[in-house]
Amino acid sequence: MATVAGPLKQTRLGISGRVGGWIFYGVPLVAFLVLILPRLVLNPGFFLQILVFGVTDGAVLALIALGYTMVYGIIELINFAHGDIFTLGGFIGVLIFSLIGIVPGKDLNLGFLTLFVVIGVMAVTMAINGGINVLIERVAYRPLRHQPRLAPLITAVGMSFILEGLMFIWKGPNFIQSPDLLPGGHFTVLAANVDYRSIVLIAAALVLVVLLTVFIERTKLGKAMRATAQDRDAAQLMGIDINRTISATFFIGAALAAAGGILYGFYLHNFRFDTGFITGLFAFTAAVLGGIGNIRGAALGALLIGLIRAFNDGYGRSEWSDVLIFAILVYVLVFRPTGLLGMQVPEK
Amino acid sequence: MTRLKGLRTAAVVFAASLAAAACGGGGGGSSTTADKGEIHIGVEMPLSGTESTQGQPILKGVQYAAQRAGKVKGFTIKVIPFDDAVNGVHDPQKGAQNVQAMVGDTKLLGFVGPLNSNVAKTEIPIAADASLTMISPANTGVCLTKDSADSRFPYDAGCGGLNKQLRKSNPNNYFRVVTTDDYQGPAMADYFLQVLKIQKVGVASDNQTYGKGIADAFTAEFKAKGGQVVGPRNDYDQNTTDFKPFLTAAKNAGAQGIYVGGTTGTKVCQVRAQMNGIFDLSAPFGGGDGIVQDGECVGQAGAFAPNVFASIAAVDPVHVPSAKAVIDGYKKAYPDPNDYTAYSIVATDAGGILINGLSKAIDDNGGNMPKRDGVRKATASTKNYQGALGSTSFDANGDTSVKIISIYKYDSPDPKKANDEPWVAQENFGEDKPTVKTS
Amino acid sequence: MSLAVAARRRFSSVDWRDPNTLTYVGLGFLALIYPTVVYLINPDQGPALVSQAADAGVFVVMALGLNVVVGFAGLLDLGYAAFFAIGAYTYGMLASGQLALSPIGHEVHLPFWVLLFVAVLVAATCGAILGAPTLRLRGDYLAIVTLGFGEIVPRVFRNLSQFTGGVNAISAIDAPVLPFWIDGPWDGGASFAVVQNLKFTAGEPTAYYVLMVLIIVAVVVVIRNAQRSRIGRAWMAVREDEVAAEAMGVNTVNIKLLAFAIGASVSGFAGCYFGAKLSTVSPENFTFLVSVTILLMVTLGGMGNIPGAIVGALVIYFVQYKLLSDLPHWVASAASALSLSQHATNVATDYATRLNFVIFGLILAVTMLLRPQGLLPSRVRAQELQRGTTDESVFDASAT
Repeated sequence: MATVAGPLKQTRLGISGRVGGWIFYGVPLVAFLVLILPRLVLNPGFFLQILVFGVTDGAVLALIALGYTMVYGIIELINFAHGDIFTLGGFIGVLIFSLIGIVPGKDLNLGFLTLFVVIGVMAVTMAINGGINVLIERVAYRPLRHQPRLAPLITAVGMSFILEGLMFIWKGPNFIQSPDLLPGGHFTVLAANVDYRSIVLIAAALVLVVLLTVFIERTKLGKAMRATAQDRDAAQLMGIDINRTISATFFIGAALAAAGGILYGFYLHNFRFDTGFITGLFAFTAAVLGGIGNIRGAALGALLIGLIRAFNDGYGRSEWSDVLIFAILVYVLVFRPTGLLGMQVPEK
Repeated sequence: MTRLKGLRTAAVVFAASLAAAACGGGGGGSSTTADKGEIHIGVEMPLSGTESTQGQPILKGVQYAAQRAGKVKGFTIKVIPFDDAVNGVHDPQKGAQNVQAMVGDTKLLGFVGPLNSNVAKTEIPIAADASLTMISPANTGVCLTKDSADSRFPYDAGCGGLNKQLRKSNPNNYFRVVTTDDYQGPAMADYFLQVLKIQKVGVASDNQTYGKGIADAFTAEFKAKGGQVVGPRNDYDQNTTDFKPFLTAAKNAGAQGIYVGGTTGTKVCQVRAQMNGIFDLSAPFGGGDGIVQDGECVGQAGAFAPNVFASIAAVDPVHVPSAKAVIDGYKKAYPDPNDYTAYSIVATDAGGILINGLSKAIDDNGGNMPKRDGVRKATASTKNYQGALGSTSFDANGDTSVKIISIYKYDSPDPKKANDEPWVAQENFGEDKPTVKTS
Repeated sequence: MSLAVAARRRFSSVDWRDPNTLTYVGLGFLALIYPTVVYLINPDQGPALVSQAADAGVFVVMALGLNVVVGFAGLLDLGYAAFFAIGAYTYGMLASGQLALSPIGHEVHLPFWVLLFVAVLVAATCGAILGAPTLRLRGDYLAIVTLGFGEIVPRVFRNLSQFTGGVNAISAIDAPVLPFWIDGPWDGGASFAVVQNLKFTAGEPTAYYVLMVLIIVAVVVVIRNAQRSRIGRAWMAVREDEVAAEAMGVNTVNIKLLAFAIGASVSGFAGCYFGAKLSTVSPENFTFLVSVTILLMVTLGGMGNIPGAIVGALVIYFVQYKLLSDLPHWVASAASALSLSQHATNVATDYATRLNFVIFGLILAVTMLLRPQGLLPSRVRAQELQRGTTDESVFDASAT
């Protein structure tokens, strides 16, 4: 299983056994039959349309949740600054695009070249953002590694404020606009319009999940990460450079966030200095929902949140969306205390 | 050394007196009598964080009003800013503390603010106890001054006598230069129905006091006049980024246009941007003064900025002779386009009215430093103040007599042209049978 | 006579080198003289400053309550503001005209003194209801459930607008009334006078201040006794090693539930007072940032240490509500002292305002880097920390 988390310490099933299983699967099934199925039958086109929106939103959220879950998996730090690192990635991306003359509303008609431009800018942004995050880790979290666990949590909140403050000074309280280099156009399935933009985003999220899984399972650095997550002392004794491994994790986490930031900008156009904070909170929720430290779990959690919100907004009353998301989170954790894909480890 | 120092002091004093004389000469022709000291006026706004997009232009508007007034009857007007944002969000507790600090400043005789109606609810009781005049350039909550919405509208504001409870037995100290939600919502509803001939709309709000208020008022009036509100009502949370599910649902239900209550800072114009691909560009989009004359809104809406209609509770400056000078002067004093919004002009008037009240109160007190209650009385009796909003008087509740709602339209996707957008209509609710006038 | 002896013995057993004792004495002394001194030094701003101190007390009380959950029992709670909201709304709905607008149709005006305890009960019940199914979770899974609860509660209050007023908030809430009150120099008045049926008003905040100090003293006494009893030791055992604690016969679920309920009830207490003093309860008072702020207070002050929580709360409150908001004023007066032009002054103040996020963040990060155990750490825990040399921190009860 592709996970960077250590042996998860959550042991007992909340409500286990056969009854628990029946309830856990039964309630969503009933909800599906009563609430969702009739709507699917009545208007399949609209249903499919909402589904597409939900999956796309989930993909965007997944891009942030992946970095969150990696950092969490390895040092068990709820990195409140990760959401702001995501915003920063978007800001840097917009800056670089504007430096090479790509600003919102202006169509350069680069054609096929667009792809290379995007990849190039993304690579630069990822490198810068990764570097910044490594620096933050070096300054704010590493000195506290042997300290009470809440100490780095507080510096993370502090870093979050500092990043937001710096972006506030840089761009002010207004939303800034990102250029949009995603392909236009759409195709139609059952009266539902599927934008090519959505396809690109979903594909990007899928590719990243696969790449990360392979990276963590197959490469040497990935192995080092898993070892560090499991037992830092033992890993060190085995000759793994802990500091380098953790720095690499922060670098990758921030690079993912930067890619996510740029794609978020393409898709939704608008950023503000505090965009990442609340989005990061939901990314964290997604990571927990799927099972902390689990790459596929994070993606699954993000997808679920995207779908819940889209369906609730499309059919019901959107002011209850957040309540529903968190209620489902609590529900899942009561029955599966380590999230949907988190593993159960016997009690020590 | 000491002699040199003395000389230097003398030179500084001389220069200062020259400067003072120069200022006195240019300071609007008020009496050039001796300096009587300072009078402070407060500005109570969220000045940091996200809402500073509204708070800062208002602060600058008041500063400009003070600059324009110059010396008032020998008193220097000093504007003191108070920030009610904590961690970047308006905080009613901080608002209450600010007012208490103002009450403690003996030179402070009134203030402009606050921005949020919920902050006003904590501030009015404290200020009322101290007879401290407050003029809000932004609160539109009906219940702050009135017991119910205007009886001509079917909108139930659910006040329950709040206006009296807030002031207890004190005389009214709270005034506002913008008119209430119960006019702005209906004005756009009438415009949609009568001028744009739209019968079905989808309605959303940012689920905050102001946004939900005008969206509710819009809905009530639109239905009462024969229109239909279709699709799910969307009261979105601030972490919502994707409005397409709502827009698609509205479109499927047959909506021809969309109305959203809220401000630019709460993503209203991003809802418009996401209509791209679901609605045609010609489908109209309505909002309140939270998005009017705002370059940022145009930026957010991007290519879909045209056909956005926004209302404001003021007369169009082109129709008001006294407005042009104020607006031009303000733009000269604060050339940054971010500093010029609909709010800054409203704030200039709020500041102007307060200073006017001060000036009257000084006269009433024989040219001496007035009492707070004197300022309150003088402000309450404001009649036909000529400013950028037209001619303002206050009624017994403290509400402005100008009940004209102007409607503007964005035509260009260029944020820089946001201020020059055309006026398209107005509706005067001061008349018995208000109608939408498009010329 | 024996009482005096006992008192003297008790007094002589106090360890005067203990920083906690010094802090208690210092804080107590400060609390006693604060209003009088403030009124003497700055009579104009006296009411505002005393009132602000009373407002700070709300956060002190909440930090004390969260300290039980996070510091004593080691349960990370990211949604503590939920119970604050529950307390505040309990008071807001039962002591204002709000319910007349609801389907119930009648105004309810119960006295503050009764509702203070009703709020505590309601909050504690909610804490227990939340805790019962979720306290089996460990570590950060529990944290995220509390975070979820913290997000759900204010939204429920906002959305059930027919009962709670929704986004329009509940305002014009009743002020507490006291049968009698002695006026004096501490209240800005010159002479002594007995006031009957004193209504707590904004103009005379000393009554609020005194009430707040009494609440804090009561909460400190209760929590301190709990900490030193069997319950407190059980909390510590659960915090340090849950499995071992269970093996030693501690009913871990019940003991955690108790910590949760005590924390919640203290927060409900604070919420009730908050609603009464501000006279407005609106959903935006209880955001995630409030929960985080209280957590910052506890951690910065020194987890698991009562005086630490108080000091942490006061420091953070001072920074957020006084330092950062007054900074532009100081810059403005500095600028006018340097006789800068009006324009330059405005620019400078503008920047002082814009910088406030960065300054707050720096204060947090630097303090934590310099004193990772907090400003006033628990002595027991400090010793544990010095002895522990592995990566696993003491806090992480569930660490291998």
